[in-house]
Amino acid sequence: MAKQNNITQSKLPITGRIVMFFIRHIQQGMSSIGELWRNPVSSIMTMAVLGVSLSLPAALQVLVKNAETITQSWNSAAEISLFINEGRSEQSIQSLISRIKVFREVESVDYISREQALDEFQRLSGFGEALSYLDENPLPAVVTVTPSLKFSSPTGARELLVKLEREPEVSFGRLDIEWLERLQALVRLLEKTVLAIAALLVLAVVLVIGNTIRLAIMNRRTEIEIMKLVGATEAFIQRPFLYTGIWYGVIGGMLAWLIINALVWYLDGALAELMGLYGSQLSLESLTLTELGQLVLLASFLGWLGSYLSVRQHLRKIEPS
Amino acid sequence: MIQFEQVSKVYPGGQKALMDVNFHLRKGEMAFLTGHSGAGKSTLLKLITVIERASAGRVAINGHDIASVSAKHVPYLRRNIGMIFQNHHLLMEKTVFDNIALPLVIEGFSHSEIKKRVAGALDMVGLYGKERHQPIMLSGGEQQRVGIARAIVNKPPILLADEPTGNLDPKLSMDILRLFETFNDAGTSVLIATHDLGLIARMKYRTFTLKQGRMIGGEQ
Repeated sequence: MAKQNNITQSKLPITGRIVMFFIRHIQQGMSSIGELWRNPVSSIMTMAVLGVSLSLPAALQVLVKNAETITQSWNSAAEISLFINEGRSEQSIQSLISRIKVFREVESVDYISREQALDEFQRLSGFGEALSYLDENPLPAVVTVTPSLKFSSPTGARELLVKLEREPEVSFGRLDIEWLERLQALVRLLEKTVLAIAALLVLAVVLVIGNTIRLAIMNRRTEIEIMKLVGATEAFIQRPFLYTGIWYGVIGGMLAWLIINALVWYLDGALAELMGLYGSQLSLESLTLTELGQLVLLASFLGWLGSYLSVRQHLRKIEPS
Repeated sequence: MIQFEQVSKVYPGGQKALMDVNFHLRKGEMAFLTGHSGAGKSTLLKLITVIERASAGRVAINGHDIASVSAKHVPYLRRNIGMIFQNHHLLMEKTVFDNIALPLVIEGFSHSEIKKRVAGALDMVGLYGKERHQPIMLSGGEQQRVGIARAIVNKPPILLADEPTGNLDPKLSMDILRLFETFNDAGTSVLIATHDLGLIARMKYRTFTLKQGRMIGGEQ
């Protein structure tokens, strides 16, 4: 029985097979780099296609990330203006302020008295002269409330507004939040678009690698037949192709990273100029090292997937005859 | 070592390649398989190496029914059979060393072991020192020897040769056959398919003859 079994099994001892398994992986991984090196033109073309395909979703990711940082800084600037009922004494207003200050939803409270409001209006509006004809100060006192970070989202701020309006001294409150909601909806739309485009481009990467590997398999048809004749397993034959796919992915991912960095560097100057005109200081953030790692990891997985699908489909069909 | 019992092979198109073939190549035996082109020699060899599977009957190698060998295990089965082809099936862009080393690399031998065994195999076929050559730089006879070295490098118990002398002149053919005899002396079972009847006549080995898919005058 032992004799019968050994005809369909490897003759090497199990330990030797395990060691050689790893050595062969390294060898085949390295030799598939060599294989790419031997056809530099077509390899570089494929890698460039992958780099460009991957750089687009990565660039959109950078865009979303920066949009998020910007809208976040606008988020926290959300302010609630409370207009105080006419005829309230300075004392009752102060007591209102001290009550509001201890709300856990509130970050800070500012008070603009009717006189301050009038001063400010006269200074800024240019109607200073006209105002002096009025008998009395038409402006109400205003208390501005900045919500704490947790309640600065549109819904949180709205809840806080309702709560503040219940105070007897408050005539009404205003929360200029519509534009914020619109902006956030816009960012969400942008994110979804990015996701859809990224999915398409990821599919393109898989197809490009799959097709490249298919051509490689066709080119080495005789070699594959001979290997099958002398007893190579499917796993052995497909391994170099899978490694080739992974290398394509890794190098394509790194190219995409370079493209992104160049893009950010190119746009940053123009953005700084624009922001300078608005008196703001903002600079574009590129991909972090972690994100580079994720990009390369994802790309190598896509490379593996593309070549795996191709190998599954085409390697089986090649049989010695 | 190789046993056929009532084996028939019908190709999908309906072409009957083998009909009720019985034969037995004993362990350590050397024999010829002969017949005209199209008589079924190639089909018979393909059944042994599981390139094709029998339509009916039983093919056994070393007592092991190969109908029960799954596709996954076919590679391991093939490692027991050294195969030599008329057109030698060498990898032309690889060196002689890489060609001969292929079965050993597949089986997972260490590099030093591979070097040793390839040198030994080259020595046996009389091509010592030609490791770095490309097959294209060698003559037809030398290329055939590279093919033989690849077939025997992992010391398989069975050696199959399909028209190994087809492209060679009589003297070179005789050299090749002497080479097979040395492997046979070392205990390898050898089956040589050939239509070179002149060659067979000069040797003392059993001859299986196929005619239109049937085994005739099998045992001498």
